[in-house]
Amino acid sequence: MSEGAYRIIPCGDDALRILCGAGDIRYQIAHRLGSCDAWPEIIPGKSDLTVAFDPHMETMAAATDRVREALLAGVGGSTHVPRRIELEARFGGGEGPDLAAMAERLGESETRLIEAIEASRLQVDMLGFTPGFAYLAGLGPALISERLRHPRARVAAGSIGLITGQIGLYALDGPGGWPIIGRVTTSLFNRLDADPFLLRPGDEVVILRSAAV
Amino acid sequence: MSLRVLDPGIQCTVQAAARDGLRHAGVPACGPADPVSMALANRLVGKPVAAPCLEITFGPACFRFESRTQIALTGARATARVGGVERPFHTTISLKAGDMLELGPASAGARIYLAVSGDLPADPFLGSASTYLPAGFGGHEGRALRKGDHLRIAGIDGLPELETPHALRLPVSASYALRAVEGPDWPPGTHRLTNAVYRVTPRLSRMGAEIDGDFPSFPDAGLKPSAAVFPGTLQVTPQGRGFLLLPDGQTTGGYRHLLQVIRADRHLMGQLRPGDSLRFLMCTQDQAEAALRAKQVLLETWMPDFRL
Repeated sequence: MSEGAYRIIPCGDDALRILCGAGDIRYQIAHRLGSCDAWPEIIPGKSDLTVAFDPHMETMAAATDRVREALLAGVGGSTHVPRRIELEARFGGGEGPDLAAMAERLGESETRLIEAIEASRLQVDMLGFTPGFAYLAGLGPALISERLRHPRARVAAGSIGLITGQIGLYALDGPGGWPIIGRVTTSLFNRLDADPFLLRPGDEVVILRSAAV
Repeated sequence: MSLRVLDPGIQCTVQAAARDGLRHAGVPACGPADPVSMALANRLVGKPVAAPCLEITFGPACFRFESRTQIALTGARATARVGGVERPFHTTISLKAGDMLELGPASAGARIYLAVSGDLPADPFLGSASTYLPAGFGGHEGRALRKGDHLRIAGIDGLPELETPHALRLPVSASYALRAVEGPDWPPGTHRLTNAVYRVTPRLSRMGAEIDGDFPSFPDAGLKPSAAVFPGTLQVTPQGRGFLLLPDGQTTGGYRHLLQVIRADRHLMGQLRPGDSLRFLMCTQDQAEAALRAKQVLLETWMPDFRL
């Protein structure tokens, strides 16, 4: 399907949704729209991309035309190259209180579980839920885990949550319902940076055991 | 000049402009739940429409002003007394040093805005001074105000005393009709809603309001892949409960996005309180655009720098 053929549907009276499916196409379109024109918000979802427009400046029909033009101009050549980011982490213990129980349930050793995570080619699918919370796809299907029955009132910044098929990285302290298996030592949020969140949709991520003890 | 918080009420935060442009990073809009009322309060004390203000939830609340200043109150319906004497909302109120402002409990609506003529201190964060409580940033130390807080305000007084034109005073009541357009998950062929009456439950915060009532059911009741949601999004859970998202609401969600309150009417959501009845008036995109233009033209006559 050519990019011009994606359906564009209203998402309220001041946003449009591009039904482009999952995969890198979301980031390529986001990159294209972000670099060629002004949009108040460009938000990747799990299987689409939503753009907000300013209804004081243009009608929905005009905004739809702008999206369609950008898509027709082609997004494949948008030269969006995913960044590759390595994060160091400490697993288990106080920083990963749910690792042991998860390993036991899966009939694996903690070490094997950590190795499976290190070997995963992860990608930031999208951010959402709370500021900077990153959903990472690409985890092996054997790592089965469900949300906690009782969410924690506070999960520390950097915590690594794991539910079946996905890793969730908490950029800030806050409430959380995912089982926590470890914590990254790299700061995911730098208050003083113009772009304070380290991860962006589309980034490729590897999580490795920290060498520091 | 300074302001002493004697009683912040249930929740009192500093709010200013919306925190725009970061929803892809999970950062919600923040800002006043009722931006029209906040802008009107600022207008009465000669401030830009998005200057930092206090957003007071429900009341009662009490503040002492330690030097001469001018203030204005808008939003929910409540009594205001200065030195025991009742003072009206929607006017510039001149205070002497030591004056105490006592706000009664709101009898209709949920949020009162208190604007002051001087500059209210607020931490700018990610492009806005608005408080975002779940992550503890913006506003006053990223938190709600507490009894005993002392806010230093650069004092200005001697402003002309103004009154909000009557045509612009928000009708706060216990029953609201919000205009809405169909959301991306609106079930085709659904004609319900327009005559149905919904009710706001006690589960209410700056993140959203739970709405009780008869919502259309979805053939596949489960979750869908997470996608962008906005203030004004009405989500329906598999159990058939509605959640109307407010300024601090999450940026993405996996529940069905049934409808979207139109831009022109979103400010009204900030005054919903538990027990209020609610109707959704479904409209077309053309009607939504016309409604926005009409309300914008009206508000611009009094506040040229305000955008809905």
